[in-house]
Amino acid sequence: MFAKYRSQILEIVNDYELLIILAKRDISVRYKQTYLGVAWAIIRPILTMLVFLFAFKNVAKIKDFSGFPIQLVVFSGILFWNLFANTFQSVSNSIITNGHLISKVYFPRLIICFSSTAVSIVDFLVGLIVYFFLVLGLNQGLSIHLLWLPLAVLITLMISVGLGIIFSSFSVKYRDLLQIIPLIVQYGFFVTPIVYTSSQLIETKWYFYYTLINPLAGIVEFFRYCLIDQYTLFDYKILLISIIISSFVFLVGLFLFEKREDTFVDNL
Amino acid sequence: MNVIEVNSISKKYKVYANPGSKSIKNGLSSLFKKDTLNEFWAIKDVNFSLNQGDKLGIVGNNGAGKSTMLKILSKITKPTSGSMSVKGKVASLLEVGTGFHPELTGRENIFLNGAILGMSKSDINSQFDEIVEFAGDQIIRFLDTPVKRYSSGMYVRLGFAIAAHLNPEILIIDEVLAVGDADFQKKSLGKMKEVASQEKTILFVSHNLTAVSNLCNKTLHLEHGQVKQFGDTGDILNNYMASLQRNILEHQYDSVNHAPGNDQVKLKFAKISPNLFDEQGYWDVRNSFLIQFEFYLLISKMSLNFSLHVFASTGECIFNLGTVPTLFQNGIIRTQVEIPSYFLNDGNYTVSLMVVKDKSIVVHNFEEVFNFEIADFREDTTWYGKWPGYVRPQFNFPVEQVSQTI
Repeated sequence: MFAKYRSQILEIVNDYELLIILAKRDISVRYKQTYLGVAWAIIRPILTMLVFLFAFKNVAKIKDFSGFPIQLVVFSGILFWNLFANTFQSVSNSIITNGHLISKVYFPRLIICFSSTAVSIVDFLVGLIVYFFLVLGLNQGLSIHLLWLPLAVLITLMISVGLGIIFSSFSVKYRDLLQIIPLIVQYGFFVTPIVYTSSQLIETKWYFYYTLINPLAGIVEFFRYCLIDQYTLFDYKILLISIIISSFVFLVGLFLFEKREDTFVDNL
Repeated sequence: MNVIEVNSISKKYKVYANPGSKSIKNGLSSLFKKDTLNEFWAIKDVNFSLNQGDKLGIVGNNGAGKSTMLKILSKITKPTSGSMSVKGKVASLLEVGTGFHPELTGRENIFLNGAILGMSKSDINSQFDEIVEFAGDQIIRFLDTPVKRYSSGMYVRLGFAIAAHLNPEILIIDEVLAVGDADFQKKSLGKMKEVASQEKTILFVSHNLTAVSNLCNKTLHLEHGQVKQFGDTGDILNNYMASLQRNILEHQYDSVNHAPGNDQVKLKFAKISPNLFDEQGYWDVRNSFLIQFEFYLLISKMSLNFSLHVFASTGECIFNLGTVPTLFQNGIIRTQVEIPSYFLNDGNYTVSLMVVKDKSIVVHNFEEVFNFEIADFREDTTWYGKWPGYVRPQFNFPVEQVSQTI
């Protein structure tokens, strides 16, 4: 069974040039027609952060009890969430969006799924640079745990790509599935500690079960552990659960995709 | 050596009665009841094999399964049953400019399209200048313009130029020849011929039978998804063309009462017969043909002449031929005319015959008595476009060099 995954991955490695050129296509197309170009990748997370800061501080008057700079907590959360949600959405739609290619040329179909993560990764990197400026502006330091960030990104990509290929495997035939994706993204944002920390969740009795159901919670706190100096709300056991679930989702995704990819052309 | 071997390949499609069928609801309900009624076999039990260097033309009517066959061979879609083995690097060109992105420039699209068709970056880099040159001067000027600003002709030229520089061992092509203006068609077919002369294996779907007969040594004729014939191009096309020509070539009315016409003149017999060569299955521009008519004349002492009209499929009259007015008694009258070879161009034609009394009064016009098709024939050519014009004369047209100084 694992040999199958290996050959799947090998096929993609052989065609890495195509993977890269499709990724480049997505990136240059995204920034080509907008006047502000790359600025959108900066403006979007900043605006989201400002909106939530406004809502929390001035309207709802919520006090964050974690003691960390609220701007950094919110911004790092949004960085993570955008990476997860954008990757998930673009991978889910990738087969249908590239239907014209799939029905005319043969190449390993997974390439389409993997290459469509490019835009969200670039957006994330741009957002990360903005984040560093924010850290400077707030006179905060960076954490040595920043070195772990690539791992955090990798876990995020595993679960988002995994979920994405599960959805893309079925959405080609069952288009109504595409309606569910925005709902997951919208509700997930609020049930995951994105614009708040897990400080209050940790005290509840059901926190363990919560982390099982929502592995994203463990990953976002890992992100903050990497990005915020002296961040204490990180628990490696919770992260381990998230890693296991993410890997599982990714493998299930590959398995289902392999089972269903032959049906794509006939259903497009 | 067999580079392509296809063993009883079949492909089944489900035909959805209504487009809403693809919902989750129907998906779930179909888990419980198997619906076998709405099945359609696009390809059924197809077998053939090709040696290296074979050029296969795939012909057949619309819906015969030609495109499905190509999609299976290029691995785009899996057959429902059967197996095949394809040895070597395959490039499939099912359309021109696959994956061109309108927002990207011509330059960027060359790399994108090349990569999609299976060229490596270094391949594209080394052939970049040739590709651009092949595509033409216009492209060179607009190389850094998004292709959405290209005219459709430029778009197609760029797409073909890239495809022409692919270097696979097996090339699968679907109708891409029918692209561009006449000039570019000439160029691309020249390139095809060049490719065809190499040791490459080519599979080629086309409705252009002139191109198939000139480029391909083998032909696969599909009908309703099944192999009707497979073999040497000459034999297969002969039979295929014959089956295509649904000509109305003969009428015979033995009883006056049932014959068409009016109370003065009725049609007894009409026949159009091409003088085919031995072993020739269909009628082409090389054949002369004979048109014969017999009439029942019901009234005595009439001065009649007959006026033959041949119309093109567009409705234009190509020529009108009249007999000398002659005085006839009632009875049976016969007329015939032979049309020489290389007179009518290839195309569809209809014939009417007008019976005229006293040089100007129309007694009856027998409209569309015949409906026939003349096929094209060309030898040793690199141009397969439609030969223009309604007539196809072969006049003596000498050319000579008068001097070597200007």
